[in-house]
Amino acid sequence: MDMNLDFSYMIEVLPAILKYIPITLFMAIIAMIIAVAIGLALALVYKTNFKILIYAANVYISFFRAIPMLVQLFLIYYGLPQLFPVFTKLDAVTAAIIGLGFKQAAFLAEIFRAAFASVEKGQLEACLAGGMSKFQAYRRIILPQALRNALPGTGNTFISLIKETSLAFTLGVVEIFAEAKMQASNSFRYFEAYLTVALVYWAIIVVYTYVQKLIEKYLDRPYKT
Amino acid sequence: MLKVTNLVKSFGALDVLKGISFEIKQGEVLAIIGPSGSGKSTLIRCLNYLEQPQQGIIEIDNARLDAAKPTKKDIQHLRSKTAMVFQNYNLYKNKTALENVTESLIVVKKTPKAEANKMGMQLLSEVGLEAKRDNYPVTMSGGQQQRVSIARALAQKPHVILFDEPTSSLDPELVQEVLHVIKKLAEQKITMIIVTHEMDFAREVADHIIFMADGHIVEQGPAKEFFANAQQERTKKFIRQITSESEDTIL
Repeated sequence: MDMNLDFSYMIEVLPAILKYIPITLFMAIIAMIIAVAIGLALALVYKTNFKILIYAANVYISFFRAIPMLVQLFLIYYGLPQLFPVFTKLDAVTAAIIGLGFKQAAFLAEIFRAAFASVEKGQLEACLAGGMSKFQAYRRIILPQALRNALPGTGNTFISLIKETSLAFTLGVVEIFAEAKMQASNSFRYFEAYLTVALVYWAIIVVYTYVQKLIEKYLDRPYKT
Repeated sequence: MLKVTNLVKSFGALDVLKGISFEIKQGEVLAIIGPSGSGKSTLIRCLNYLEQPQQGIIEIDNARLDAAKPTKKDIQHLRSKTAMVFQNYNLYKNKTALENVTESLIVVKKTPKAEANKMGMQLLSEVGLEAKRDNYPVTMSGGQQQRVSIARALAQKPHVILFDEPTSSLDPELVQEVLHVIKKLAEQKITMIIVTHEMDFAREVADHIIFMADGHIVEQGPAKEFFANAQQERTKKFIRQITSESEDTIL
Protein backbone atom coordinates (compact mmCIF):
# COMPACT_ATOMS: atom_id res chain seq x y z
CA MET A 1 0.00 0.00 0.00
CA ASP A 2 1.23 3.39 -0.88
CA MET A 3 1.12 5.48 2.27
CA ASN A 4 1.53 9.09 1.39
CA LEU A 5 0.24 11.19 4.23
CA ASP A 6 1.35 14.67 3.37
CA PHE A 7 2.27 16.34 6.66
CA SER A 8 3.52 19.45 4.99
CA TYR A 9 0.11 19.91 3.39
CA MET A 10 -1.50 19.59 6.81
CA ILE A 11 0.69 22.33 8.17
CA GLU A 12 -0.01 24.41 5.10
CA VAL A 13 -3.77 24.09 5.41
CA LEU A 14 -3.86 24.61 9.19
CA PRO A 15 -3.77 28.45 9.23
CA ALA A 16 -6.70 28.60 6.81
CA ILE A 17 -8.74 26.39 9.11
CA LEU A 18 -7.67 28.18 12.28
CA LYS A 19 -8.93 31.43 10.78
CA TYR A 20 -12.47 30.11 11.22
CA ILE A 21 -12.16 29.14 14.86
CA PRO A 22 -13.80 32.42 15.94
CA ILE A 23 -17.01 31.69 14.02
CA THR A 24 -17.11 28.12 15.35
CA LEU A 25 -16.65 29.32 18.93
CA PHE A 26 -19.04 32.23 18.42
CA MET A 27 -21.83 29.87 17.37
CA ALA A 28 -21.07 27.43 20.18
CA ILE A 29 -20.90 30.05 22.92
CA ILE A 30 -24.00 32.04 21.90
CA ALA A 31 -25.96 28.81 21.41
CA MET A 32 -24.77 27.67 24.84
CA ILE A 33 -25.96 30.89 26.48
CA ILE A 34 -29.38 30.42 24.87
CA ALA A 35 -29.44 26.76 25.89
CA VAL A 36 -28.54 27.53 29.51
CA ALA A 37 -31.19 30.26 29.75
CA ILE A 38 -33.98 28.13 28.26
CA GLY A 39 -32.80 24.99 30.05
CA LEU A 40 -32.81 26.76 33.41
CA ALA A 41 -36.26 28.20 32.77
CA LEU A 42 -37.55 24.75 31.84
CA ALA A 43 -36.02 23.15 34.94
CA LEU A 44 -37.54 25.83 37.16
CA VAL A 45 -40.95 25.28 35.58
CA TYR A 46 -40.93 21.85 37.23
CA LYS A 47 -40.52 23.58 40.60
CA THR A 48 -43.84 25.39 40.14
CA ASN A 49 -47.39 24.12 40.28
CA PHE A 50 -48.46 25.48 36.90
CA LYS A 51 -49.81 22.39 35.17
CA ILE A 52 -49.95 24.05 31.76
CA LEU A 53 -46.36 25.25 31.95
CA ILE A 54 -45.19 21.82 33.05
CA TYR A 55 -47.06 20.23 30.17
CA ALA A 56 -45.53 22.72 27.74
CA ALA A 57 -42.07 22.00 29.13
CA ASN A 58 -42.66 18.27 28.68
CA VAL A 59 -43.62 18.77 25.04
CA TYR A 60 -40.63 21.05 24.41
CA ILE A 61 -38.16 18.61 25.90
CA SER A 62 -39.71 15.62 24.17
CA PHE A 63 -39.71 17.35 20.76
CA PHE A 64 -36.24 18.83 20.79
CA ARG A 65 -34.66 15.68 22.15
CA ALA A 66 -36.25 13.60 19.43
CA ILE A 67 -35.59 15.63 16.27
CA PRO A 68 -32.20 15.04 14.63
CA MET A 69 -30.05 18.16 14.68
CA LEU A 70 -29.78 18.30 10.91
CA VAL A 71 -33.53 17.96 10.40
CA GLN A 72 -34.05 20.76 12.87
CA LEU A 73 -31.57 23.07 11.20
CA PHE A 74 -33.19 22.47 7.79
CA LEU A 75 -36.61 23.02 9.31
CA ILE A 76 -35.55 26.40 10.69
CA TYR A 77 -33.44 27.66 7.81
CA TYR A 78 -35.14 26.22 4.74
CA GLY A 79 -38.60 25.42 6.13
CA LEU A 80 -39.71 28.38 8.22
CA PRO A 81 -39.33 31.07 5.50
CA GLN A 82 -41.82 29.17 3.37
CA LEU A 83 -44.52 29.53 6.03
CA PHE A 84 -43.46 32.86 7.49
CA PRO A 85 -41.78 35.14 4.94
CA VAL A 86 -40.24 37.18 7.75
CA PHE A 87 -37.80 34.31 8.29
CA THR A 88 -36.21 34.86 4.88
CA LYS A 89 -34.25 37.57 6.64
CA LEU A 90 -32.81 34.97 9.02
CA ASP A 91 -29.13 34.50 8.19
CA ALA A 92 -27.54 31.07 8.33
CA VAL A 93 -25.39 31.74 11.41
CA THR A 94 -28.40 32.93 13.41
CA ALA A 95 -30.44 29.96 12.25
CA ALA A 96 -27.68 27.58 13.31
CA ILE A 97 -27.32 29.27 16.71
CA ILE A 98 -31.07 29.11 17.34
CA GLY A 99 -31.30 25.49 16.26
CA LEU A 100 -28.33 24.40 18.37
CA GLY A 101 -29.41 26.43 21.39
CA PHE A 102 -33.04 25.26 21.35
CA LYS A 103 -32.05 21.63 21.05
CA GLN A 104 -29.39 21.62 23.75
CA ALA A 105 -31.76 23.48 26.07
CA ALA A 106 -33.86 20.31 26.18
CA PHE A 107 -30.88 18.25 27.30
CA LEU A 108 -29.74 20.89 29.78
CA ALA A 109 -33.22 21.08 31.30
CA GLU A 110 -32.90 17.44 32.30
CA ILE A 111 -29.41 17.97 33.69
CA PHE A 112 -30.52 21.05 35.67
CA ARG A 113 -33.61 19.27 36.97
CA ALA A 114 -31.47 16.47 38.34
CA ALA A 115 -29.02 19.01 39.77
CA PHE A 116 -31.80 20.81 41.65
CA ALA A 117 -33.13 17.49 42.91
CA SER A 118 -29.68 16.65 44.29
CA VAL A 119 -29.72 19.67 46.61
CA GLU A 120 -31.15 18.51 49.93
CA LYS A 121 -34.61 19.74 50.82
CA GLY A 122 -33.24 20.97 54.15
CA GLN A 123 -31.21 23.67 52.40
CA LEU A 124 -34.34 25.45 51.17
CA GLU A 125 -36.04 24.94 54.53
CA ALA A 126 -33.10 26.55 56.31
CA CYS A 127 -33.31 29.54 53.95
CA LEU A 128 -37.04 29.97 54.51
CA ALA A 129 -36.71 29.52 58.27
CA GLY A 130 -33.99 32.17 58.11
CA GLY A 131 -36.46 34.61 56.59
CA MET A 132 -35.26 34.52 52.99
CA SER A 133 -37.69 34.62 50.11
CA LYS A 134 -37.69 31.68 47.72
CA PHE A 135 -35.96 33.85 45.14
CA GLN A 136 -33.19 34.78 47.58
CA ALA A 137 -32.87 31.13 48.61
CA TYR A 138 -32.42 30.00 45.03
CA ARG A 139 -29.99 32.73 44.14
CA ARG A 140 -27.76 32.48 47.21
CA ILE A 141 -27.94 28.85 48.30
CA ILE A 142 -29.74 26.44 45.97
CA LEU A 143 -28.40 27.54 42.56
CA PRO A 144 -24.73 27.62 43.61
CA GLN A 145 -25.02 24.09 44.98
CA ALA A 146 -26.96 22.85 41.97
CA LEU A 147 -24.41 24.47 39.65
CA ARG A 148 -21.66 22.28 41.00
CA ASN A 149 -23.74 19.17 40.43
CA ALA A 150 -24.73 20.32 36.97
CA LEU A 151 -21.26 21.23 35.73
CA PRO A 152 -20.02 17.87 34.43
CA GLY A 153 -23.21 17.25 32.44
CA THR A 154 -23.33 20.83 31.24
CA GLY A 155 -19.73 20.53 30.09
CA ASN A 156 -20.61 17.48 28.01
CA THR A 157 -23.43 19.44 26.43
CA PHE A 158 -21.07 22.26 25.53
CA ILE A 159 -18.64 19.80 23.96
CA SER A 160 -21.49 18.38 21.85
CA LEU A 161 -22.41 21.91 20.86
CA ILE A 162 -18.88 22.75 19.71
CA LYS A 163 -18.89 19.68 17.51
CA GLU A 164 -22.40 20.19 16.20
CA THR A 165 -21.49 23.65 14.89
CA SER A 166 -19.94 21.69 12.04
CA LEU A 167 -23.47 20.97 10.83
CA ALA A 168 -23.88 24.67 10.10
CA PHE A 169 -21.93 24.09 6.89
CA THR A 170 -25.12 22.54 5.48
CA LEU A 171 -26.74 25.98 5.77
CA GLY A 172 -23.79 27.56 3.97
CA VAL A 173 -21.96 28.84 7.04
CA VAL A 174 -18.21 28.74 6.61
CA GLU A 175 -16.69 27.55 9.85
CA ILE A 176 -13.69 25.33 10.44
CA PHE A 177 -15.21 22.19 8.97
CA ALA A 178 -16.60 23.94 5.89
CA GLU A 179 -13.21 25.51 5.29
CA ALA A 180 -11.48 22.13 5.56
CA LYS A 181 -13.97 20.70 3.11
CA MET A 182 -13.31 23.46 0.61
CA GLN A 183 -9.56 23.12 1.01
CA ALA A 184 -9.91 19.38 0.44
CA SER A 185 -11.89 19.72 -2.74
CA ASN A 186 -9.33 22.14 -4.11
CA SER A 187 -6.33 19.98 -3.33
CA PHE A 188 -7.92 16.52 -3.40
CA ARG A 189 -6.04 15.93 -0.15
CA TYR A 190 -9.20 14.81 1.65
CA PHE A 191 -7.60 12.77 4.36
CA GLU A 192 -5.10 15.43 5.38
CA ALA A 193 -7.67 18.23 5.38
CA TYR A 194 -10.19 16.28 7.43
CA LEU A 195 -7.53 14.94 9.77
CA THR A 196 -6.32 18.50 10.33
CA VAL A 197 -9.79 19.76 11.19
CA ALA A 198 -10.33 16.70 13.42
CA LEU A 199 -7.17 17.59 15.33
CA VAL A 200 -8.32 21.19 15.62
CA TYR A 201 -11.61 20.05 17.20
CA TRP A 202 -9.63 17.83 19.51
CA ALA A 203 -7.40 20.71 20.55
CA ILE A 204 -10.37 23.00 21.20
CA ILE A 205 -12.00 20.39 23.38
CA VAL A 206 -8.80 19.57 25.26
CA VAL A 207 -8.44 23.25 26.12
CA TYR A 208 -12.09 23.49 27.13
CA THR A 209 -11.84 20.37 29.28
CA TYR A 210 -8.87 21.87 31.08
CA VAL A 211 -10.80 25.08 31.76
CA GLN A 212 -13.75 23.06 33.06
CA LYS A 213 -11.47 21.15 35.43
CA LEU A 214 -10.31 24.46 36.89
CA ILE A 215 -13.89 25.63 37.35
CA GLU A 216 -14.82 22.31 38.96
CA LYS A 217 -11.92 22.59 41.32
CA TYR A 218 -13.00 26.10 42.25
CA LEU A 219 -16.62 25.08 42.85
CA ASP A 220 -15.51 22.07 44.86
CA ARG A 221 -13.73 24.12 47.52
CA PRO A 222 -16.62 24.09 50.03
CA TYR A 223 -16.99 20.32 49.78
CA LYS A 224 -13.39 19.21 50.31
CA THR A 225 -12.87 17.53 53.66
CA MET B 1 -46.07 36.02 73.62
CA LEU B 2 -46.45 32.75 71.72
CA LYS B 3 -49.91 31.34 71.43
CA VAL B 4 -51.19 28.47 69.35
CA THR B 5 -54.92 27.92 69.05
CA ASN B 6 -56.55 24.78 67.73
CA LEU B 7 -53.86 23.85 65.21
CA VAL B 8 -54.91 21.15 62.74
CA LYS B 9 -52.65 19.49 60.21
CA SER B 10 -53.16 16.44 58.05
CA PHE B 11 -51.10 14.82 55.32
CA GLY B 12 -53.75 13.53 52.96
CA ALA B 13 -55.96 11.21 54.96
CA LEU B 14 -53.53 11.10 57.87
CA ASP B 15 -54.41 13.50 60.69
CA VAL B 16 -51.15 14.48 62.33
CA LEU B 17 -52.23 17.38 64.53
CA LYS B 18 -55.76 17.16 65.86
CA GLY B 19 -56.33 20.55 67.41
CA ILE B 20 -53.29 21.69 69.36
CA SER B 21 -53.45 24.68 71.69
CA PHE B 22 -50.81 26.01 74.04
CA GLU B 23 -49.13 29.17 75.14
CA ILE B 24 -45.71 30.20 76.41
CA LYS B 25 -44.33 33.39 77.84
CA GLN B 26 -41.23 35.32 76.93
CA GLY B 27 -38.09 33.75 78.38
CA GLU B 28 -39.66 30.36 78.88
CA VAL B 29 -38.31 27.08 77.60
CA LEU B 30 -40.86 24.57 76.39
CA ALA B 31 -39.90 20.97 75.73
CA ILE B 32 -42.18 18.87 73.55
CA ILE B 33 -41.80 15.16 74.16
CA GLY B 34 -43.62 12.06 73.04
CA PRO B 35 -43.25 8.85 71.08
CA SER B 36 -42.16 9.03 67.45
CA GLY B 37 -45.04 9.65 65.09
CA SER B 38 -46.89 11.68 67.71
CA GLY B 39 -46.70 14.85 65.61
CA LYS B 40 -44.17 16.84 67.64
CA SER B 41 -41.86 17.62 64.72
CA THR B 42 -44.82 18.52 62.54
CA LEU B 43 -46.07 20.84 65.26
CA ILE B 44 -42.80 22.73 65.61
CA ARG B 45 -42.47 22.96 61.81
CA CYS B 46 -45.94 24.47 61.60
CA LEU B 47 -44.83 27.30 63.88
CA ASN B 48 -42.67 28.83 61.14
CA TYR B 49 -44.93 27.52 58.39
CA LEU B 50 -42.45 25.02 56.94
CA GLU B 51 -45.44 22.72 57.24
CA GLN B 52 -48.74 24.23 56.28
CA PRO B 53 -51.45 23.62 58.86
CA GLN B 54 -55.01 23.58 57.52
CA GLN B 55 -56.53 25.27 60.55
CA GLY B 56 -55.57 27.16 63.62
CA ILE B 57 -54.04 30.42 64.67
CA ILE B 58 -50.41 31.05 65.47
CA GLU B 59 -49.48 34.23 67.30
CA ILE B 60 -45.90 35.19 68.09
CA ASP B 61 -45.29 38.66 69.45
CA ASN B 62 -47.22 40.90 67.05
CA ALA B 63 -47.21 38.37 64.21
CA ARG B 64 -50.43 36.48 63.64
CA LEU B 65 -51.15 33.78 61.10
CA ASP B 66 -54.54 32.26 60.50
CA ALA B 67 -53.90 28.91 58.83
CA ALA B 68 -57.24 29.05 57.06
CA LYS B 69 -56.22 32.17 55.16
CA PRO B 70 -52.47 32.74 55.35
CA THR B 71 -51.01 35.60 53.36
CA LYS B 72 -47.45 35.83 52.12
CA LYS B 73 -46.97 38.77 54.45
CA ASP B 74 -48.20 36.80 57.48
CA ILE B 75 -45.86 33.94 56.67
CA GLN B 76 -42.89 36.29 56.25
CA HIS B 77 -43.79 38.09 59.47
CA LEU B 78 -44.07 34.81 61.37
CA ARG B 79 -40.71 33.67 60.06
CA SER B 80 -39.11 36.94 61.06
CA LYS B 81 -40.12 36.16 64.66
CA THR B 82 -38.73 32.62 64.66
CA ALA B 83 -35.49 30.82 63.94
CA MET B 84 -35.03 27.10 63.60
CA VAL B 85 -32.35 24.61 64.54
CA PHE B 86 -32.82 21.44 62.53
CA GLN B 87 -32.13 17.84 63.37
CA ASN B 88 -29.73 17.59 60.42
CA TYR B 89 -28.27 21.08 61.01
CA ASN B 90 -28.97 22.12 57.40
CA LEU B 91 -26.07 24.54 57.35
CA TYR B 92 -25.70 26.20 53.96
CA LYS B 93 -23.17 23.87 52.37
CA ASN B 94 -21.71 26.46 50.02
CA LYS B 95 -21.02 28.90 52.86
CA THR B 96 -18.40 29.03 55.59
CA ALA B 97 -19.33 28.92 59.27
CA LEU B 98 -19.21 32.70 59.51
CA GLU B 99 -21.16 33.16 56.27
CA ASN B 100 -23.80 30.78 57.58
CA VAL B 101 -24.28 33.00 60.60
CA THR B 102 -24.26 36.28 58.67
CA GLU B 103 -26.32 35.17 55.66
CA SER B 104 -29.71 36.20 57.05
CA LEU B 105 -28.27 39.40 58.50
CA ILE B 106 -26.95 40.46 55.12
CA VAL B 107 -29.68 39.15 52.84
CA VAL B 108 -32.80 39.62 54.96
CA LYS B 109 -31.92 42.37 57.42
CA LYS B 110 -29.63 44.21 54.99
CA THR B 111 -26.97 44.65 57.67
CA PRO B 112 -23.73 46.06 56.23
CA LYS B 113 -21.24 43.25 55.74
CA ALA B 114 -18.59 44.53 58.14
CA GLU B 115 -21.12 44.89 60.93
CA ALA B 116 -22.65 41.50 60.14
CA ASN B 117 -19.21 39.90 60.31
CA LYS B 118 -18.56 41.50 63.68
CA MET B 119 -21.86 40.20 65.03
CA GLY B 120 -21.21 36.83 63.41
CA MET B 121 -17.82 36.47 65.08
CA GLN B 122 -19.32 37.34 68.44
CA LEU B 123 -22.00 34.67 68.01
CA LEU B 124 -19.44 32.11 66.88
CA SER B 125 -17.42 32.82 70.00
CA GLU B 126 -20.55 32.35 72.10
CA VAL B 127 -20.78 28.79 70.80
CA GLY B 128 -17.02 28.38 71.07
CA LEU B 129 -16.22 28.24 67.37
CA GLU B 130 -14.42 31.47 66.42
CA ALA B 131 -11.55 29.35 65.14
CA LYS B 132 -13.84 27.68 62.61
CA ARG B 133 -15.00 30.91 60.98
CA ASP B 134 -13.64 30.01 57.53
CA ASN B 135 -14.47 26.31 57.66
CA TYR B 136 -17.11 24.89 55.38
CA PRO B 137 -19.77 22.67 57.02
CA VAL B 138 -18.40 19.48 55.50
CA THR B 139 -15.15 19.92 57.44
CA MET B 140 -16.86 20.19 60.82
CA SER B 141 -18.17 17.53 63.20
CA GLY B 142 -21.90 17.18 63.72
CA GLY B 143 -21.64 18.86 67.09
CA GLN B 144 -19.75 21.81 65.64
CA GLN B 145 -22.22 22.13 62.78
CA GLN B 146 -25.13 22.15 65.21
CA ARG B 147 -23.42 24.84 67.30
CA VAL B 148 -22.92 26.97 64.18
CA SER B 149 -26.57 26.45 63.38
CA ILE B 150 -27.49 27.70 66.85
CA ALA B 151 -25.34 30.78 66.26
CA ARG B 152 -27.10 31.22 62.92
CA ALA B 153 -30.47 31.08 64.68
CA LEU B 154 -29.34 33.62 67.30
CA ALA B 155 -28.21 36.00 64.56
CA GLN B 156 -31.81 36.41 63.49
CA LYS B 157 -32.65 37.83 66.93
CA PRO B 158 -35.86 35.82 66.92
CA HIS B 159 -38.57 35.98 69.55
CA VAL B 160 -38.40 32.23 69.80
CA ILE B 161 -35.92 29.60 68.64
CA LEU B 162 -37.44 26.34 67.49
CA PHE B 163 -35.28 23.26 68.03
CA ASP B 164 -36.37 20.20 66.09
CA GLU B 165 -34.62 17.27 67.80
CA PRO B 166 -31.29 19.13 67.88
CA THR B 167 -29.24 16.19 69.12
CA SER B 168 -30.91 13.23 67.42
CA SER B 169 -28.42 13.04 64.54
CA LEU B 170 -25.36 13.40 66.72
CA ASP B 171 -22.90 10.77 67.81
CA PRO B 172 -23.41 10.19 71.55
CA GLU B 173 -20.14 11.82 72.53
CA LEU B 174 -21.14 15.04 70.73
CA VAL B 175 -24.57 15.44 72.32
CA GLN B 176 -23.35 17.18 75.46
CA GLU B 177 -21.53 20.04 73.72
CA VAL B 178 -24.76 20.98 71.96
CA LEU B 179 -26.94 20.59 75.05
CA HIS B 180 -24.45 22.70 76.94
CA VAL B 181 -24.91 25.57 74.47
CA ILE B 182 -28.70 25.30 74.69
CA LYS B 183 -28.51 25.38 78.51
CA LYS B 184 -26.49 28.56 78.29
CA LEU B 185 -29.21 30.12 76.15
CA ALA B 186 -31.85 29.07 78.66
CA GLU B 187 -29.86 30.86 81.38
CA GLN B 188 -29.94 34.00 79.21
CA LYS B 189 -33.74 33.73 79.16
CA ILE B 190 -33.98 33.14 75.44
CA THR B 191 -37.38 31.76 74.55
CA MET B 192 -37.11 28.28 73.11
CA ILE B 193 -39.31 25.42 72.04
CA ILE B 194 -37.43 22.14 71.92
CA VAL B 195 -38.61 18.86 70.51
CA THR B 196 -36.38 16.31 72.20
CA HIS B 197 -35.86 12.75 73.29
CA GLU B 198 -33.35 13.78 75.96
CA MET B 199 -35.46 13.44 79.10
CA ASP B 200 -32.77 14.46 81.57
CA PHE B 201 -32.11 17.52 79.50
CA ALA B 202 -35.80 18.40 79.27
CA ARG B 203 -36.15 18.01 83.02
CA GLU B 204 -33.15 20.21 83.65
CA VAL B 205 -33.71 22.98 81.12
CA ALA B 206 -37.40 23.22 80.38
CA ASP B 207 -39.85 25.33 82.34
CA HIS B 208 -42.75 23.66 80.66
CA ILE B 209 -43.36 20.24 79.18
CA ILE B 210 -45.87 19.16 76.57
CA PHE B 211 -46.38 15.44 76.14
CA MET B 212 -47.89 14.53 72.78
CA ALA B 213 -49.28 11.31 71.40
CA ASP B 214 -51.33 10.61 68.27
CA GLY B 215 -51.66 14.26 67.35
CA HIS B 216 -53.01 15.36 70.73
CA ILE B 217 -51.48 17.03 73.73
CA VAL B 218 -51.94 14.31 76.33
CA GLU B 219 -50.56 16.30 79.21
CA GLN B 220 -48.77 19.56 79.83
CA GLY B 221 -47.46 21.39 82.80
CA PRO B 222 -44.48 22.82 84.66
CA ALA B 223 -41.48 20.57 84.17
CA LYS B 224 -40.94 19.65 87.81
CA GLU B 225 -44.49 18.55 88.43
CA PHE B 226 -44.69 16.84 85.10
CA PHE B 227 -41.89 14.39 85.82
CA ALA B 228 -42.58 13.94 89.51
CA ASN B 229 -46.28 13.68 89.30
CA ALA B 230 -47.67 12.83 85.84
CA GLN B 231 -51.44 12.50 85.84
CA GLN B 232 -52.19 10.50 82.70
CA GLU B 233 -51.49 6.78 82.48
CA ARG B 234 -50.06 7.25 79.00
CA THR B 235 -47.58 9.85 80.24
CA LYS B 236 -46.47 7.72 83.16
CA LYS B 237 -45.88 4.78 80.87
CA PHE B 238 -43.82 6.91 78.48
CA ILE B 239 -41.69 8.36 81.27
CA ARG B 240 -41.15 4.87 82.71
CA GLN B 241 -40.13 3.51 79.31
CA ILE B 242 -37.73 6.34 78.56
CA THR B 243 -36.18 6.20 82.01
CA SER B 244 -35.66 2.45 81.93
CA GLU B 245 -34.22 2.74 78.42
CA SER B 246 -31.59 5.21 79.57
CA GLU B 247 -30.83 2.96 82.55
CA ASP B 248 -30.36 0.12 80.10
CA THR B 249 -27.80 2.11 78.19
CA ILE B 250 -25.92 2.84 81.39
CA LEU B 251 -25.85 -0.87 82.26
